[in-house]
Amino acid sequence: MKCLLIASESAEVLFHWTDLEFQQTIQEQYGASQEEGQGLPAFEDMISTQFAPIIISCSTIVDRQSDSYTSFTTENNHIYVLHQFDECLYIAVNGDGEEKEDDLRRKIYVMKKMIEVLFGMVTLSGTLLKRELRPQDTEQRARLWKHLQSLLETYSHLQENDQSFLVEAVERLIHPTLCEQCIEFLEHRLVQQLNSSVERAGEEVLHAFILVHTKLLAFYSSRNASTLATSDLLALIIMAQNMYPSNVDQDDPSPEDVESTSGSGPESFYTPEPSPTDRDSSDSEKPVRGSPPLFEFVDPDIQMAEDSLHTLVVSPPDPSAPRRVFLEVSLKDGLYPMMPHSMYCLPLWPGISLVLLTKIPTSAVAMSVYKFLEAFDKLEKRLNEGQSPAAAKGQLTMHDIRGKLDKFIKALGPSEIQSVHLQNVWTDFKNRAFTRGRHGFTEDLIPSCKAMKTQLCGVYRQCFFTDSGSADTPRRLSPALQERAQTMAQDKLINWKDFLLVKSKRNITMVSYLEDFPGLIHFICVDRSTGQMIAPSLSITERTTSELGKGPVAQYIKSKVWGLVSTTRRYLQKGYSTVTLRDGDFYFCYFLWFENETGYKLEAGDIPTLPDDSAPIGMLAWDYYRKLLRYYSKNHQGEAVKCYELLTIHLAVIPTDIILQHCRQLATKLWEPSRNPLL
Amino acid sequence: MQDKLMAELMPPDSRRCNYFFLYDGSKVQGEGDPTSGGICYFYPEQTPLDQQELLCSQFAGVGRCVSELSSSPVQTLRLRRNKFAIRMKDDFLWALGCSVDVPTVSVCELLDQLINLFCFYNGSVRQSYQLNSQETLAARWARYLSYLQSGSSEMCHIFSCLKTIDSTNVDPLLLLKAALILQACQRCPLVLAGCILFRGRVVSTQMSPELTMKVMVHESETYTKGQRLNGPSTSSSFGGAVSSTTVFLTMSELQYLQSAPVDKDSSSHSTPSKNVPPKKTRLSRTLSDTPSTESEPSYPSSSQSPQKTSFSPHLSESDNSVCSPTASQSTADSLNLSLLSLRPPLSNGKHPHEAEEDVLEESYYHSFHNGGDGGSQIHSEGDSSVFEENSHVNGDGDAAGGTVFDFRGTDSGNEQSHDDKMNQGRKAEMKDPSHLSGAFGNLAESPLVGMTLYMHRVKGLVLALLVEPHFLSDAASMEEVYHSSLASLNGLEAHLRTISSGAPGAPGPYVFAHFDCIQSTLTTNLSGRPGGAPEHPFVRATSLLHSHFCNTETLQEAIIRSAGAAVYGTRSVAQETYFQQHGGSLRNSGIPNHQDSAFSLPSKARHRLLKHGVNLL
Repeated sequence: MKCLLIASESAEVLFHWTDLEFQQTIQEQYGASQEEGQGLPAFEDMISTQFAPIIISCSTIVDRQSDSYTSFTTENNHIYVLHQFDECLYIAVNGDGEEKEDDLRRKIYVMKKMIEVLFGMVTLSGTLLKRELRPQDTEQRARLWKHLQSLLETYSHLQENDQSFLVEAVERLIHPTLCEQCIEFLEHRLVQQLNSSVERAGEEVLHAFILVHTKLLAFYSSRNASTLATSDLLALIIMAQNMYPSNVDQDDPSPEDVESTSGSGPESFYTPEPSPTDRDSSDSEKPVRGSPPLFEFVDPDIQMAEDSLHTLVVSPPDPSAPRRVFLEVSLKDGLYPMMPHSMYCLPLWPGISLVLLTKIPTSAVAMSVYKFLEAFDKLEKRLNEGQSPAAAKGQLTMHDIRGKLDKFIKALGPSEIQSVHLQNVWTDFKNRAFTRGRHGFTEDLIPSCKAMKTQLCGVYRQCFFTDSGSADTPRRLSPALQERAQTMAQDKLINWKDFLLVKSKRNITMVSYLEDFPGLIHFICVDRSTGQMIAPSLSITERTTSELGKGPVAQYIKSKVWGLVSTTRRYLQKGYSTVTLRDGDFYFCYFLWFENETGYKLEAGDIPTLPDDSAPIGMLAWDYYRKLLRYYSKNHQGEAVKCYELLTIHLAVIPTDIILQHCRQLATKLWEPSRNPLL
Repeated sequence: MQDKLMAELMPPDSRRCNYFFLYDGSKVQGEGDPTSGGICYFYPEQTPLDQQELLCSQFAGVGRCVSELSSSPVQTLRLRRNKFAIRMKDDFLWALGCSVDVPTVSVCELLDQLINLFCFYNGSVRQSYQLNSQETLAARWARYLSYLQSGSSEMCHIFSCLKTIDSTNVDPLLLLKAALILQACQRCPLVLAGCILFRGRVVSTQMSPELTMKVMVHESETYTKGQRLNGPSTSSSFGGAVSSTTVFLTMSELQYLQSAPVDKDSSSHSTPSKNVPPKKTRLSRTLSDTPSTESEPSYPSSSQSPQKTSFSPHLSESDNSVCSPTASQSTADSLNLSLLSLRPPLSNGKHPHEAEEDVLEESYYHSFHNGGDGGSQIHSEGDSSVFEENSHVNGDGDAAGGTVFDFRGTDSGNEQSHDDKMNQGRKAEMKDPSHLSGAFGNLAESPLVGMTLYMHRVKGLVLALLVEPHFLSDAASMEEVYHSSLASLNGLEAHLRTISSGAPGAPGPYVFAHFDCIQSTLTTNLSGRPGGAPEHPFVRATSLLHSHFCNTETLQEAIIRSAGAAVYGTRSVAQETYFQQHGGSLRNSGIPNHQDSAFSLPSKARHRLLKHGVNLL
């Protein structure tokens, strides 16, 4: 009984995912409320009808109470979590008790993260995003939604079964020599060869990594690449898993597995689809200048959509086509979110894949667009706050922007229809803002700011969503080059293949700890500064027996681990960095602490208290720990601060003193400089 | 904006509830029905009407939609700034909103308490609204709400505890004496159970904490009244120290009271057996096991002997929820007359409660006489004028009402005119007399049973007894209960008065809170100041841990530590205890260390709390 729905303020469904049970409930209820004799309409219409009162009430409360709903619960323990991101309302529902409120909120944020990775800065324009998420063409819509649904299912499956997605940190395969060899291979052979090939069509491999199921065997970033954020890496692993689901749980394949295996192999490739014409665009040809501000904002937008219909060609899915992903890039001059990359996921064997991330030749455009967007956004905020032209500082930068934007538009070339629109809106903006005798930088400029932002997003969309140049020269690593990379990696790992597949299931095991830590049942240790985690494997399938035994006992321990993580997050959210719990037959501990680079333990500091409905604590959807480190580092200037977490589960009969000693030993030994955990 | 408004009106500390409303969806069914017609009561009453309408209509709409999707009523509804407990029943929707810091369990508990209180004194909600004017009932909601919020500290917001006298300061013999008084009263078979209160705090009780709390609301009312008037106010054969009111118990409450082992046979009511041996159990819950149906024949007499009651509405003067309108009417008539003739002329020192009873009875009277031939059609067109009139009377009463009603301000903000455009179907339904009795028990799962709450006040001390309704007409029983307890009560009062209400538990180098889940009592050495600093780290931690304990049955103990404070919490089936050690060095790196002071909290708590009578071993 699960559901996730994205709706616009006007109660239009932008995306929905339901499990079978929820779908049936909706159908039954809809059937009951309809006059008999009518055939059931599309499910999309049913779900939108059923949720419409909630969605409309949400906007009413926002408008009139300037507050918003965050959750509902019912007497039979159904939970509804609601969150509004700009113009999109996300609603997640659970009616089977398997997810708590926090889980639902996390799911919403993860969904948003995946949409950002797929659509980049288009998400910054509500109007564009709505159109992107809900293509007019029903077939396209079905394909897009199916893709998003399977991503969501893959995520849910990983979150429920994989410890690294439980704590949202990357798990490395612990085999130092092999890891080292592989990194060397990636650096000196693979990436070097690819980047020196002419067949790369202007693309440049920035990052390359090898995944064994969800675990990282080796990761290499080229020298001029910025670090890949943990959040992005986790999102990419979800995408890779979605493309090539691993059958770790062969014994009990979940329905999601079956579906995603059959539904989304490499052949069902997702390429962002163009938006066809808008139905109510009859008056869109009105001249922009004369109309009242409100329409100015809407007009160019609709026009754009209509025009783009002519330029976009629906290309057939192509297995060698990369996925466009939008990832964060941190450069010396700042942080650039949602920069376009191409992702090549090359399967080596079932369960093992090589992933390449390349920088695309036109990515400089994205950077400019982002700078302009940021500038207009700041300007709009300032104007909204009533800071009038007196803010000379703002004007200065705007003059700066003026020159740059002029150049930018010229460089785009007039051939692109989208850039013509941008040019028009920009000319209008300049007329209003810079012409003497006009109003200058006043509130009247706000609609123009909005229009500029929309147009910039439109340009961005044009550049990175539609393979405009594809007709002549496909901008991607040539299929042959991809094949070569695949073969090289296969050759490298052929002898290790079976070992790796087994190793990934039993990366480290509790057996090795039992002697030193009697009474210890399980632990998870996370280095939040690097976004990596270590935990004994918790394999609970019938076939592979872990130390915990199999079946119900292991399942029970697993549920305890999952419960503990969510409990400690709740305390962390409220500012508690140490928690110990005596619960039934178990004793749980949780510690979060800071160290400097030399391993010196730093004084515990205040941890901010967050409201209940704040973004979930983790690294995938919203990097809480990055914020925490920044917050903590304020008092430790000039010192690199690291953040660690340790969770342990002991038998409750063990004296607390011993338990705490164990924790201390684990905390000090697990992350010794050698990076070689106890084995 | 609303928040700001409220903050000005009330000290932020004493505010437990930000919003409370009761909305009757049955009044707003057609397209043209104004939302305001469905608003039965809205707190804070000075909330602008458009905002009241907004919240009511939105919550009702969302509530219905979610309930349909999940086939179950909505229980909580959260916004970013407020969290609401919701109850939906019979087209009624209650919503109670608190700040998001208050644990959700506590918000839900508060709302249940409030609704139960209302039903305890008024019977079923639907019926109350059929019999009384909205203004009258609004005043009652306000009173119950203000009682539940009054003077309680932040800790009490978390635990919904009973206010008890500080037993560490009181000679245990006095507590024993109080228990004995109650047991003595139970020798009369018409007495179900009782409690003894002193200055609004429980000294001894034979009832469940929930029931005791309900009884205390009435006590607090008569207490404030008594204080202001400086003495007894009503004439009765017992010198005004005795009063009574009709109350309604749920079947389960009644069964619980009657379930205690009772060794006496069901004796006849008119001849209470005097040879009942005193009960030896400490908290005896022995009661008359008289089946309530038996008392039916005697109930008409209760209205014929009003000289023993200062006032008694007898709204639903029936035992088994048999409430035929005609019967009530005659009861009300005679009662009305007799009360009016008995009562001393009302001065400007008129008690709010009494004034209200007047209103209540008047509206009751009018509603039946204006109701036309049907006799049971309550919300007829002609009513609106009566209700307006009532609102004036009521307003006066409130203005003179003193402390209890202060928080509402003088301007009674909800003068909703009655919704004349009543739904046709509703009318038809109302004309059916059987509907009344049907609606009677709808709110609570089980039907409500009318009982009488008898109170005997000796200055600050009150003996409150739940008695069979015909106890009031049974002169012998009343005499017996009154006289057998009078001397003891006087003695007890004299003793309790001398006890200094010293600061509870000298503040040591630690704070603790000990909650007895069975008796709903809280012992703490946290400053008793009402609204004791919600930002206090101990309160915050306790609130979190309490929620956790409530949601996780297997959890036994927990230590949580932030940079500033480490708090230890432990619980058993019967109790929850929270402990924080002050000072000491919390300086640490947050890494696991068995020498860390946080981990010595359990042993410290065990040691320190022994002298507060808390045994954690």
